[in-house]
Amino acid sequence: MLAAWRYRKRENSLIQSFDPRAWIIFFVCFLISVLSFWDVRFLLPFLTIAFFAVFTSRVTWVEMRRAFLFIVSFVLFYAFLTFLTGRGGMEVYAQERTLREFTAGFSIFGWTPTLKITVERIFFAASQLVRISSIALMTILIPYSLNPALYGITFKRLGLSDKFAYAMDLTMRFIPTFGRDFQLTMDAQRARGYELEKLQGGLIGQVRKLGPIVVPVVIHAIMGSEDIIDAMDLRAFGVAPRTWFDELTYQKRDRVLMALGALILIVSLGLAMMGYGKFWTP
Amino acid sequence: MTNLPLIVEDLSFKYRDRAGAAIHNLTFEAHAGEILLIAGASGCGKTTLVRCINGLIPRSYKGELSGKISIFGEDVKDWKLSQISQKVGTVLQDPDRQILGTKVVNEVAFGLENLGMPRTEIVTRVNESLEFLKIPQLRNRDTFSLSGGEKQKVALAGVLAMRPSILLLDEPLASLDPASAQEALDMVRLLADQGMTILLVEHRVEDVLRIKPDRVMFMSEGQMRYLGAVQGLSSLVNYHQVKLPAEDVLARAKRDPAPAEIKVLPRVAGLGAEKEALVKFQDVAFGYEAGREVLHGVNLEINRGDVIAVLGPNGAGKTTFVKHAIGLLKPKAGKVLVDGRDTHSASVAEIASMLGYVFQSPSHMLFAPTVREELAFGPTNLKHAKEQVELEVKEALNIVNLTDKENDPPLALSFGQQKRVSIAAILAMQSRILVMDEPTAGQDYQNYMNFMDSILQMPTFEAILFITHDVDLAAIYANRVLIVNDGRLIADGSPHDTLADFEKLKANRLVPTSLLALNLKHFATTGRFLRAEALAHFNL
Repeated sequence: MLAAWRYRKRENSLIQSFDPRAWIIFFVCFLISVLSFWDVRFLLPFLTIAFFAVFTSRVTWVEMRRAFLFIVSFVLFYAFLTFLTGRGGMEVYAQERTLREFTAGFSIFGWTPTLKITVERIFFAASQLVRISSIALMTILIPYSLNPALYGITFKRLGLSDKFAYAMDLTMRFIPTFGRDFQLTMDAQRARGYELEKLQGGLIGQVRKLGPIVVPVVIHAIMGSEDIIDAMDLRAFGVAPRTWFDELTYQKRDRVLMALGALILIVSLGLAMMGYGKFWTP
Repeated sequence: MTNLPLIVEDLSFKYRDRAGAAIHNLTFEAHAGEILLIAGASGCGKTTLVRCINGLIPRSYKGELSGKISIFGEDVKDWKLSQISQKVGTVLQDPDRQILGTKVVNEVAFGLENLGMPRTEIVTRVNESLEFLKIPQLRNRDTFSLSGGEKQKVALAGVLAMRPSILLLDEPLASLDPASAQEALDMVRLLADQGMTILLVEHRVEDVLRIKPDRVMFMSEGQMRYLGAVQGLSSLVNYHQVKLPAEDVLARAKRDPAPAEIKVLPRVAGLGAEKEALVKFQDVAFGYEAGREVLHGVNLEINRGDVIAVLGPNGAGKTTFVKHAIGLLKPKAGKVLVDGRDTHSASVAEIASMLGYVFQSPSHMLFAPTVREELAFGPTNLKHAKEQVELEVKEALNIVNLTDKENDPPLALSFGQQKRVSIAAILAMQSRILVMDEPTAGQDYQNYMNFMDSILQMPTFEAILFITHDVDLAAIYANRVLIVNDGRLIADGSPHDTLADFEKLKANRLVPTSLLALNLKHFATTGRFLRAEALAHFNL
């Protein structure tokens, strides 16, 4: 059986007060707008919107703690890596103003590790941090706030065909199902004395030793898909234009949200085309 | 004749990727309002027959099909699956494999949505189905939060909403607790009485006989061995292969030689009555989410020499409880000690050498290219010597009767065989305690009785614990029975003390069986619970 995300209806949740289509449209506008800028001053308002959405969502800290901490550590790790190496930033800035430079007292095959702290690296890392955090915070809300029973109808009413809309529905539910199956397989193999953390050998050897986890999870996913296809076939899926049981209707607030999303997108793209919002340092 | 709901003529099928035909030359018909029970061992072709009738063969499963299936006089060869699905409804063994909707109402409406019915008609039919199955209160529940019995009813509601004339039920009782199974069967009787044709594939023949099926078909090796009145079945089939009512077995077994005595846990036999606790649960409480406890203050000791059966309804917390024994779950309050060691401070792999745990579903663990390698995985992880591993693998294969499959890929075996591989994989680890979560689910009677006999006689184990819905399995094999309900230990005692209290059984969704009744009747003479064929040779 397909698992579901940890959705529940929350009292006074702002995100849940909107039609899911309106929220998806706003989310897409927000996403494209954020990706239009590298200037941290332009990006900070988006981070503010994202935090506002999180705080008004009524998703509790306990509920989202694990996902949130995972994403924060991921974002911090990559921002820090960029800061250390300077990689990635070279596409948005050409020159660097060095503040401090640390050189290691040893060399490895003629290469001496050097850490350059430059204004550009600091601001590029900060921009990256704000950019990814804004997107991650908005994305993380979706599984907690969107009713899984409405996935299919949401995509259908956004213009997808019956088959694509239902495929999107199944795909969104496949992710937590995959997570559950992974955990069950881990448990089953640990009960046979298998310890993932004690994998030894070279890279290829280590990948081979992942077989006891990877094979059952993949096979289970394939078998699960076959079951789903059989179950759908047995109840006549895809033979006629479908009636969708659930109905969605836009309210005034949904139209306001979509208009706001469109406005943000138009202004962002306009500014970006006029050359505003590129990488900035003081 | 042509107006019969179902006529099957000379039907044979061979799967494209398998040797030999799965079913051969089956010919029968089914009448309106009839319950036709289809019985037979695993791999006898029951499921293939169901797939032929519901149209998945040849539309989804390819192979060589011959013969003819007619529904209300019309050959279905050229029908689309959608046409067939409006006449033939199918409920699969495992509702988890059938339910697609996230909410009950969406699940029940799914087929009607696909047929493009008007919304008002869908609402009417959904409500009718839920009312008929007496589950309107589940309408807006999330499907994943339902118990096994509720899921099966919801799956049935989704099929009934399409108003089929023929209903195919493929082992619908396999994952249900006894009371849920009884409720499901009562519903089947009601549907037949209203004129629906029902083909019921089921291992649990004894349970089905209670609702008086009109005819029984017995299949073996893809062929029909018997088709006729229920009374004829008992005298025809081997009672070692099909579980028959205890009185019937008692009468027939008197003519056969007495079964061999089982020497339970030979390693601890004759060590005296002194109890040694191998696992201790001390005030164990647990919840998957903060504020929602599913185990409440469990205190228990698993002692040397114990063969424990854990009974209880679907969703009672049985699996959660036993997962604590191997440290896969750690108590939120209290502690679990395995061989004196707190599971909080030991890894699962460390505990695995002491306690072997067989999971419910084999598909979550099988990965190796051959059965032999699959079985060697556990003992090798536990650093057993190579020669020892070979011996352990051989012995485990013998016990589950899979020596001829040693070099086959486990993933290519049938579900029943995979289940036996998963049990053998743990047996090969030669742990001191064995814990099994529903070891007999999806197995045919003869196979599971054989491997249960063998497991109990294995020289390595000092204690065995198994979760089951089968009251007879608990009565025959266990020397101690636990009843778990709502995360609490409701009863803990000898099989006689626990299972003789019918009120308690009923309160915990367990149903007394004919074998239990027979054993209780003769308990003063026997002093213990025995299988029917052993009772037949007792001086009763």
